[in-house]
Amino acid sequence: MTPSAHHPAIASGRRRFDLLGLASRLAAASVVASAAALLGLLAWRLWPFGLDGAPHGPGGGWGEIGGAAAGTAWLVVLTGALALPAGIGTAIYLEEYARPKTRAASVLQAALANLCGVPSVVYGVAGLAFLVHGLSLDRTLLTGALVLAALALPPVVASSTEAIRAVPGDLRTAAVGLGATRWQVVLHQVLPVAAPGIATAACTALTRAAGAAAPLLVVGAASMVTFAPPTPAAPLVSLPTHVFGWAVRPQAEFAAHAAGATLALLAILLGVRLAAFAFQLRFAQDARASARSLPDARAPGSATPGAEEGPAPNAKPRQGTPSPFSGP
Amino acid sequence: MNRGTLATVTGRPGARADRVAGRIFLTCTLLTAGAAAVLLGVMAVGTSQFFAEVSPWRFLTGSTWAPFAEDPRFGVAPLVAATGQITVGAVVVAAPLGMLSAVYLQFYAGPRAQRAATAAVALLASVPTVVFGYAAVSAVAPLLSAVLPGAGAFGGAAATIVVGLAVTPTVAFLAREALAAVPPALLQAGTALGASRGQVVARVAAPAAARGLVAALLLAAARAAGETMIVAMAADGLAELAWSPLEGARTLTAFLAQAGLGDTRPGSLDAQVVLAVATLLFAVTCTVHAAGRALLPRRRPATPGLPRTPVRAAVRKTAAATREGPRS
Repeated sequence: MTPSAHHPAIASGRRRFDLLGLASRLAAASVVASAAALLGLLAWRLWPFGLDGAPHGPGGGWGEIGGAAAGTAWLVVLTGALALPAGIGTAIYLEEYARPKTRAASVLQAALANLCGVPSVVYGVAGLAFLVHGLSLDRTLLTGALVLAALALPPVVASSTEAIRAVPGDLRTAAVGLGATRWQVVLHQVLPVAAPGIATAACTALTRAAGAAAPLLVVGAASMVTFAPPTPAAPLVSLPTHVFGWAVRPQAEFAAHAAGATLALLAILLGVRLAAFAFQLRFAQDARASARSLPDARAPGSATPGAEEGPAPNAKPRQGTPSPFSGP
Repeated sequence: MNRGTLATVTGRPGARADRVAGRIFLTCTLLTAGAAAVLLGVMAVGTSQFFAEVSPWRFLTGSTWAPFAEDPRFGVAPLVAATGQITVGAVVVAAPLGMLSAVYLQFYAGPRAQRAATAAVALLASVPTVVFGYAAVSAVAPLLSAVLPGAGAFGGAAATIVVGLAVTPTVAFLAREALAAVPPALLQAGTALGASRGQVVARVAAPAAARGLVAALLLAAARAAGETMIVAMAADGLAELAWSPLEGARTLTAFLAQAGLGDTRPGSLDAQVVLAVATLLFAVTCTVHAAGRALLPRRRPATPGLPRTPVRAAVRKTAAATREGPRS
């Protein structure tokens, strides 16, 4: 066993055979091993065919994967454009604008929290019934993106809400004390601090949208890709549904094709994740920079309003409005 | 209109940005609520139409499932049994792996190992389920049928194991969060009494975190019950009451995916039965998910006791401070 405890609260106890330690190491090792095995499997299936193999499919080998990848890229972009503004806006409204304890707001919040646990295939079924059967939309990328956006909304709202709630109350107090309006509080105080959390939420939602297969299958994804979709009105194609279509066939070429499509899918996921990471890094730097530029609150004479962000947004004393600051 | 929020308190004339932003956020909220309402409405309408044709009692208790046959039978019990079997099996696989990994991450791993293992768990968590399904079909099922000759290529056992692997990250992350929330003083007290690290973890940390650990299992179960792609790819069997995990099993989700592949006519009984099954799945997963969420330890907000609308509270706080009068 390790000589020193890594967990700060537990000093290294008496040394003896530690069954739990052994078991937990084994469990963690097998989780790592299965993650590695998954990647290994893909490489192993792909290897015999090389990077220009995979001869099957009317679009011809990699062209078909490229078309499906373009479909997934469209889906990610469209879903992001639909779900992220709506979801983040909802979270801001519910946290910053809605009156406290409004019945409707709390019902909506509870409903969204529960919708987070609904399996994605259910969204597909509802999307098929409403969009395709009800509104007679074609089975296009946009239809798929609408379903994925509905699927992404509840988690985006829940995680953004959590990020906004974690913003320290002192920031708001200070901003209000300087006379900021709600919008100024949201724009200058809440959003910058909550941005990394919201970025994580967005990243999770988009990677899920990129990897979603079940709802798209149910809505009706095309099984053949003959060209890369030029517009959102093109037939619904995506990498995950393609992997499904290829993987259930027995021939080795199909398996290789599925492995190739899977690797392309993982590459797209990695891209989304890196984008979110870069965004977070930028905001972390911004936060550090603004922390440095802040005057020390305890230093005498540094509490001049407006010293931190240029002109104070609303520092003029108002006349006529009943101010809470003018006591009786 | 007195909304009782900051706008009326600081509302200087010309604060148009605040009103416009508020309206935009309200629109977002209405969009989100609309999406949720459409989802619930579509399912409620389809299900009620279905139950006008088929009695709910026969649906829930019948043991023959042949919805698209000449003489259709709508007994959903086989699907529920298969879902239950795969869910329980998956949790049995994921519970030891995930919990022990969490123990390792929280109490045993050194900083570097901790980072590597967390990355592996996060990698597993971000892999789309269709990739797990691919792995189940192309690696786990052949391996299993080589070891156990009774297991067919489309065995429920392969699906169960792989679904278990897919939900292991859920268990690991949530269990780790629960273990991390145990007050360090308890752990230190255990160590001070001479307990080894294994004893502290097993007899102090685990009981203190019991609620959160159960919540982790419930949330993982909700995910496993809603798992579609793995089951549709690897466990697609006949919908019969099968008690051996080696036989194929068609779950609620696999039926939904399968039914979505074929073309159901809008408004037909075929389309309605799909919605009814989706509603049943929705109800089951939602209940389990809500139970898990209720057990989850509440996250403390960053500022203790921060009320729901911070801006308004900030005004009140500042007002109270002013009424007391400045100390200086």
